[in-house]
Amino acid sequence: MNACAEGQGWKRSGNMQILRQTNMEALEKARTLGPDGVLELLEKKGLEGRGGAAFSTARKWRASRDAPADERFVVCNADEGEPGTFKDKFIIRHNAETVVEGLLIAAYVVGAKRCFIYLCGEYDYLRPRLQQQADDMLARTKMEDVTIEIVRGAGAYVCGEATALLQSIQGFRGTPMQKPPHPTSCGLWGKPTVINNVETLTCAAQAVLFDDWNPALRLFSLSGNIKNPGVYEFPLGVKMSTVIDVAQPKKKLKAMSFGCFGGIMPVDENMAITPEAICVEKCHHGAYSIIFMDETVNVVDISYSIAKFYTYESCGKCTPCREGTIRILNLLKKILNGKGVKKDLQVLAELALHIQETALCGLGQTCGNHVLTSLQHFPADYDHYLKKGAKS
Amino acid sequence: MKITLNGKEMEADGDKSLLDICRENGINVPTLCYHASLFPEARCRVCLVEMDGKLVTSCSTKPREGASIITNNEHVMKARKLNMELMLPEPACKREDDMEVCGIYEEVGMRTARFASIKEYKPDLGAAVIRDNNKCINCGRCVRVCADIQGVYAIDFASRAHNEHVTPYFEKNLADVACIRCGQCILNCPVGAISERSHIDEVVAALDDKEKHVVVQVAPSIRAALGELFGMPAGTLVTGKTVAALRKCGFDKVFDVDLGADITIMEEASELLNRISNGGKLPMITTCCPGWILMMEFFYHDLISNMSTCRSPHEMLGMLIKTYYAKKAGIDPKKIVVVSIMPCTAKKFESTRPELETGVDYVLTTRELGRLVKMRKVDFASLPDEEFDPALGISTGAGVIFGATGGVMEAALRTAHFLATGKELEKLEVNEIRGMKGIKEGKMMLGGKEVRFACAHGGANARRLMEQKDKYHFIEIMACPGGCIGGGGQPIYRDPEVLRKRTEAIYSADRASKLRRSHENPVVKQIYKEMLGAPLSEKAEELLHTHYVKRDRF
Repeated sequence: MNACAEGQGWKRSGNMQILRQTNMEALEKARTLGPDGVLELLEKKGLEGRGGAAFSTARKWRASRDAPADERFVVCNADEGEPGTFKDKFIIRHNAETVVEGLLIAAYVVGAKRCFIYLCGEYDYLRPRLQQQADDMLARTKMEDVTIEIVRGAGAYVCGEATALLQSIQGFRGTPMQKPPHPTSCGLWGKPTVINNVETLTCAAQAVLFDDWNPALRLFSLSGNIKNPGVYEFPLGVKMSTVIDVAQPKKKLKAMSFGCFGGIMPVDENMAITPEAICVEKCHHGAYSIIFMDETVNVVDISYSIAKFYTYESCGKCTPCREGTIRILNLLKKILNGKGVKKDLQVLAELALHIQETALCGLGQTCGNHVLTSLQHFPADYDHYLKKGAKS
Repeated sequence: MKITLNGKEMEADGDKSLLDICRENGINVPTLCYHASLFPEARCRVCLVEMDGKLVTSCSTKPREGASIITNNEHVMKARKLNMELMLPEPACKREDDMEVCGIYEEVGMRTARFASIKEYKPDLGAAVIRDNNKCINCGRCVRVCADIQGVYAIDFASRAHNEHVTPYFEKNLADVACIRCGQCILNCPVGAISERSHIDEVVAALDDKEKHVVVQVAPSIRAALGELFGMPAGTLVTGKTVAALRKCGFDKVFDVDLGADITIMEEASELLNRISNGGKLPMITTCCPGWILMMEFFYHDLISNMSTCRSPHEMLGMLIKTYYAKKAGIDPKKIVVVSIMPCTAKKFESTRPELETGVDYVLTTRELGRLVKMRKVDFASLPDEEFDPALGISTGAGVIFGATGGVMEAALRTAHFLATGKELEKLEVNEIRGMKGIKEGKMMLGGKEVRFACAHGGANARRLMEQKDKYHFIEIMACPGGCIGGGGQPIYRDPEVLRKRTEAIYSADRASKLRRSHENPVVKQIYKEMLGAPLSEKAEELLHTHYVKRDRF
């Protein structure tokens, strides 16, 4: 087991791969390899994006580098807003230099001069130190014409979505844009732009430098009704029972959710956590953040909390998400108040599926998952509230 | 590339959107947020179609090689309908001349509402344009037209999720921000959430008042558009029927703003020649368009001295009605109520400007006139043609073409050439400034000098022209695309072709006119002889000219 924690009751042990420092050596090596060499190396090592979509990093960089333009940009997406996810914060706090180095390698490979770090508004307290570290790193490199700007998000969850993030950096309303065109060809100010997650950039630097870099290791953010919430490193394919052992549930577990958008699922101890296994239809693994719920929890309450989150965080651009999320919330509120009827469940499912099918961006397309999965796996919890209403 | 559209295999252009492909093949797809000349935002999600089993927005999606596209199966229809249900919980068509959203209700087959409305907004009541966010469906067409076509940026979205709403900046009222009142947002609102501030009630009250002598004057562009409100095809000229309908509505006298336009030309052409020969400030910029005047006062107030001092045609005629006509007809000017029928919402604002308060009392838009005629149950289509009242009703083709972009300039050049050289232009049509191109330019010899002129229509084009203004001597700006024929008070249209047809109607009216130069108008000559003396005389300056102010945006 390669578990390591940042959290209550656990001491941070030094052997987490993500904490290995590259000390400017990765950038040096990248320069010797040349841009093509770096791309080949990353392709060989199989580095994939860690933000949730698992897109090949080398392909993304190459697409941006090969798009015709006179200027290019590189953006580090540090707008970590998913409830139950806190791994990027962990990396920035403990290994920011490597993040910056990954960013500089990306800039070197695609030929960008301006780099941005889009920092989650809630992490603003990390900004002064991060800025200092970025400035120090820049001073140590010989890339004098490269700049790193830290842009503070204003707290909108949707700005973690790549196109909305770019809108926000440019000073516009943070709303997602229809793709294509993809940011790799038409991003900031219409120029090719690479956007990578904090973890991805860290891994890029490490993958370039370390021969023994293991592409299978992922950061897990564990939280919920457990004794040991925190950030852990597990290899893909790890058994759920192993994760649960580390997490130490307080009572018998009933359900779990991968982030908010992963849907509320029953706990399967024998499940091996791989993208394929947990990315069952309409259920997303996202960034491997698991919220555990024990038997004291009624899933409808959780669903209501998640609905509240989406009703607050939807950007409002497209109809199904803007109008659908509030209707889902209102229906759940009605059910919780004991006023729900069987037909409300049908409408809930219809709305959730509809948003999933017709919304513009990833937020909308996943914001109904919690309803669909909880209806499917925990009908008894809904019945509990429906019956309660029928009695009174 | 090869695609299958509703089961039919065909060749398709891979660079076109699915929406265009469908429409080219005679398949209708409902749209709300789509605007033919703007980048698709894909907000409303009503234009959904199925591509290879997945729902996509046809406005923003291009076909894939070999894709199977289905536009009308149950999956598609259900999704479209649910989006309509979510957007607009109350399927009520509250604006008679706005059929757009009603048509979409029909297309998606929506009859009843399942969800209650969640909107609680205070209405925004301005002097010209009013907004009711409770009706708004957040399609964003007004926002994009205001920004991308008009270059004004008065409104945008604020807040997130279900609280997202269209608002002027800082949540102010439209009346308190740099809004030019052009009303293009009204034309683009599919649900009537934005509309003109109606003055029908005031006009009806004046008509009923036996003490009042109610005079109406009709702008040039009305005759090319009013028929559309009564089921006539776009581009039908209804000059005679309009006059007849106004008499049926009870107006005492029906005058023609074209006459005001002819007088404007006399003043403006003289002013231009005066500036050119006496070293006045150039370029001189036209001031017939109250939307443009507001835009200048907000964004280009360093150009105030470049602006012609001429009032707009209906304000000139309004003043003449209350002075010249009142004296001739022996009516106390205080008892005269002047109503202007205008294609324009900014004219409503203009008539409230303190320096212009004495002229025109009420402004009705083309749409409001249509409503008034319908209120009186007048069968418009079968009315006989009638003539304007001759006292102030004789006009020239030069006055008519004021309704189209480039028209003011063309009319001014016809007269300026005569005033400068004593000779008539050989060819009256100045073709280089006709048509729908955003910025048009040309040159002409006037009194031994080469005069370069340019005109722009649509605020964004006006901004572009202002960047190169110093190249020219004479500039015409119309705030609305197409000029007054595309004004914010005109009948709602979706097809850009409508503008071309209205323009054509305007030019055909010019061709059919016996008199085609403002200085030939006998009434104009008479007014100058009896009252004003000559253009730019002291009396003319007092009644026909005005001044402008600098306005702060914040």
